[in-house]
Amino acid sequence: MVTDKSATQVAESVEAPRETPVGWQPNIIAFACHYCAFAAADLAGVMRLSYPTSVKVVRLPCTGKLDHVYLLRAFERGVDGVFAAG
Amino acid sequence: MVNPQQQQRERTGTVLVVGSGIGGMQAALDLANSGLLVHMVNDEPSIGGTMSRLDKTFPTGDCAMCMISPRMVESSRHANIRLHTMARVTALSGEEGNFTATIKEQPRYVDPDRCTGCGACEPECPTKVVNAFNQGLDKRKAIYALFPQAVPNTRAIDPAHCLYLTRSVCRKCEKVCEAGAINFADTGRQIDVQVGSVILTPGLQTYRPEISQEFGYGKYKNVVTALQFERLLSASGPCGGTVTRPSDGGHPKRLAWVQCVGSRNAHNANPWCSSVCCMYAAKQAIIAKEHDPAVESTVFYMELRAFGKDFDKYIDKAKNDAGVVYRRAMIAGVVEDPATGNLQVHSVGEDGRLLRQEFDLVILSIGFEPRADAAEFARIFGIDADSYGFAATSKLRPVETSRPGIYVAGTYQGPKDIPETVLQGSGAAAKAMALLADRRGTEVSKVVLPDERDISGEEPRVGVIVCHCGTNIAGTVDVAKVAEIAAREPGVAHAETILYACAPDGQQKIRDLIRDKNLNRVVVASCTPRTHAPLFQDTIREVGLNRFLFELADIREQCSWCHMQEKELATAKAVEIVNMNIAKTRRLDAVHSSSVGVDHSALVIGGGIAGMTAALSIASQGYGVQLVERADRLGGLLGQVRRTVDGDDVQAYLTAVIAEVMAHPAINVHLGVGVEKIDGFVGNFITTLSDGSHINHGAMLVASGGEEYQPVEYGAGQSERIITQRGLENLLAEKGPGSGRTYVMIQCVGSREEPHNYCSRICCQDALKNSIAIKEKDPTARVVVIYRDLRAYGLKEEYYRRARDLGVLFLLYTPDDKPEVEVLPDKVRVALSGKVLGHPLVIDADSLVLSAGLRPRADADELAKKFKLTCNSDGFFLEAHVKLRPVDFPSEGFFLAGLAHAPKNLEETISQSLAAAGRVGALLSNDTLTVSGVISKHNRQICMSCLACVKNCPFGAPFIDTDGRVSHNEVKCTGCGICAGVCPAKAYQVNYFRDDQLLAMIDSVTTQAEPA
Repeated sequence: MVTDKSATQVAESVEAPRETPVGWQPNIIAFACHYCAFAAADLAGVMRLSYPTSVKVVRLPCTGKLDHVYLLRAFERGVDGVFAAG
Repeated sequence: MVNPQQQQRERTGTVLVVGSGIGGMQAALDLANSGLLVHMVNDEPSIGGTMSRLDKTFPTGDCAMCMISPRMVESSRHANIRLHTMARVTALSGEEGNFTATIKEQPRYVDPDRCTGCGACEPECPTKVVNAFNQGLDKRKAIYALFPQAVPNTRAIDPAHCLYLTRSVCRKCEKVCEAGAINFADTGRQIDVQVGSVILTPGLQTYRPEISQEFGYGKYKNVVTALQFERLLSASGPCGGTVTRPSDGGHPKRLAWVQCVGSRNAHNANPWCSSVCCMYAAKQAIIAKEHDPAVESTVFYMELRAFGKDFDKYIDKAKNDAGVVYRRAMIAGVVEDPATGNLQVHSVGEDGRLLRQEFDLVILSIGFEPRADAAEFARIFGIDADSYGFAATSKLRPVETSRPGIYVAGTYQGPKDIPETVLQGSGAAAKAMALLADRRGTEVSKVVLPDERDISGEEPRVGVIVCHCGTNIAGTVDVAKVAEIAAREPGVAHAETILYACAPDGQQKIRDLIRDKNLNRVVVASCTPRTHAPLFQDTIREVGLNRFLFELADIREQCSWCHMQEKELATAKAVEIVNMNIAKTRRLDAVHSSSVGVDHSALVIGGGIAGMTAALSIASQGYGVQLVERADRLGGLLGQVRRTVDGDDVQAYLTAVIAEVMAHPAINVHLGVGVEKIDGFVGNFITTLSDGSHINHGAMLVASGGEEYQPVEYGAGQSERIITQRGLENLLAEKGPGSGRTYVMIQCVGSREEPHNYCSRICCQDALKNSIAIKEKDPTARVVVIYRDLRAYGLKEEYYRRARDLGVLFLLYTPDDKPEVEVLPDKVRVALSGKVLGHPLVIDADSLVLSAGLRPRADADELAKKFKLTCNSDGFFLEAHVKLRPVDFPSEGFFLAGLAHAPKNLEETISQSLAAAGRVGALLSNDTLTVSGVISKHNRQICMSCLACVKNCPFGAPFIDTDGRVSHNEVKCTGCGICAGVCPAKAYQVNYFRDDQLLAMIDSVTTQAEPA
């Protein structure tokens, strides 16, 4: 059946991961609480700790504000990972 | 006889603050915020004091200028603060409540009303003068700003070097000044002001190291002072933050710090410990390593005095992460190799042999001393000085001078670091607030802001300001490129870069741009919004833009500082950060905040000396106090202390304080109860006590104390001869020291080692106090103190010296080679292996005294959870900012004092409690508080009343109304947005964090990831 076949194709495409190019870094959006995780990201800077530049922080008033719509939109737009911290 | 006329005369609701360093500014801002008028007098052309000369601060490595700059701006803009720069107080008459102060302002020769701070005059000035601000490392002009971020930003002409003022030629600055601000006819002015109280914060001067000739300062170019090294490290210093050697401009790799230069030495120097040098040397070594990973640092020290909160961990960081070598050695001398300019440091190694080591740069850790004019200063204000020249105070009244109504804060009261200066500033302010409580609001005027411009319906015109932050950002990120790209974003009307956005000239620039470019929204790309957003929000509000038409793009903490090694990638990330904030800002709308009333009372948790001191101060400022103590009596740990090291009778003092608390009509004491839960918000808390009663209050002060460690080490409990310092104090008071007995004390018992790797701060002082008491009563007694670092910081060095003079023996041990204790029938045998001494040593003691430290309360964690506060890794409550907000919690309306914060002695506890009371008072003086505009807005039209929000809101803001539907209490709302997250109908939108605004950020930062 058509639907079964397409389901199998999807399963196969999930099974076979794409090759990771050399030097590739995941594009990550971090959703951070203003009071803790955003402060921690600031502290990382104050302490001159280093992490990949491909991590970008979106400030939330609290991680309670994190909406599933944001996560879906981020993935839909091609980010490789989402980091929720708070 | 009291003159009835005098008694009737009303006190003046104005305070004179003399000195405008960080302590003076703190006092002035607290007073001004409590409704008193402040005259702040400062003898330099800019406010800022010593802290403005520092590059970074320990133990967080925060940029000093970034912290102090907003305070300077706030001080200069506050409607209740009158600044008098280049001025001195020449006379003070009158008495507590009614003083007349004569202020003499030196001529500045530049009219502050006309000067724009553009700086066009400076390049024209032909005269170069040694730049004292940069510690003589470079030159400035005769017309100058003290430093780039100076406040006020009006230049001054140095009359001793100006060609026109000395030889009547030149006037080039006058010709180039388009504002016509130069005024050579300026003669200064003298004014009399009426004030009710005076706070003295004149600050310090540093020791002149050329006096100690063995270090070669002034003779060898590559021997610099620590303050000079601060300027060498500073991005706004003479070499732009790239450390260079004075002799040849090379980059020094081998750095040596010599500690205690000018301190702890009564011969040609000062006898006291300057308190801060151990820590600033560690900081400088860590920062130097950050600047250049090839740097190798050595610190030559006598005693490592890392006695403050988290200080020992910072030293560990210096040793382990920055590779700093600590050498316990006194320096015999420094000799230059004339061919290279390198320096040979002569010291004695631990094996007793002479060592010579070569370094590229030697940094002298110079100490503090009272200013040269301290004696004259004390005379003008009619106060007593101690034998060293510091303002005389007592251990029990640390911010009060000998003259009623005159208070003191900061290093004029004795050497201390920034947070202690800040808290004494707040503490002195609390004293003045109590004195002038009934005069609040009588001398001040209200801030008048222009009407807000209605921008609804306008197309977005975003202005983007990208800050260099000296080299903090621009050293890594190509800020010009960031601005250039930002300018092409939709809705952006203007973008440019600026050296320091937060400096007054930077803020003026922002105000000018809003007007000139007709901007209706602003993005500043600089540092973290957590500290700097309020400043910029005020700035745009002053020209009529709503505070919420602003966003701060964090390209320093979250970009330049963590991607220093990847300049191009960092620039690309900065572009993304700025663009996503532009995307949000385009969609920003004005947010209007409402205000709520304030309950003019405070809840104080803890009936120890901290809680009681604060309660009395808050009550005397005119507010109600509910004092809650879980024990059935007041007094706390202080009940076990008999006297201070100065001999003050602690129990008599404590009894008097308890009596005063019990008798005070505005203080309500609850004994034997704890706190069950706390509801509400700043200004309007409702707390439930364990006895079921409810208390309404506007502020909350946590002074819940600590505990004394009961040692198990060194045979504790195995013999009556093994006691703690507290036990010894009781023994000495009850029985005396006996005759010819031997006392051995072991320091750091249960402190400075995992899992309690912090200094308990009071144990060295306790050991000195008891040692002196024994030897003074019985000179034949033998007292041996076995220690790691004798932390007799500040003026307490005097007691260390006195103990040594009395014959107390001090022997060193290290944590990997501790003394061994054996309990014998009639004595306690203490053995030292001799690794440090060179030969083993056995002492038979009649008493072994263990210096056991302080611990946080066992239930501190539980309390923290209840109040939603945080603790540090040692279990002590964490303040909002270790330097500048030492008694505030991050949660609004919560304050902190005493052992709950960190170990400290009685004098420090009293200062801190007064400070917390001052902060509480400044809050409670408000009749209304403006509620944050960042709250959730409920759309009842599309709400289905599914109750998801009612179930999930931790603050109880959504409720079922009389119609049986969901409504929302905005006063209880904290803007966390949980309701918005769980609402299936999307009936909630959080102001300033709306879904469309956040999705725009996500879309912006993912554009490059889209398939082409």
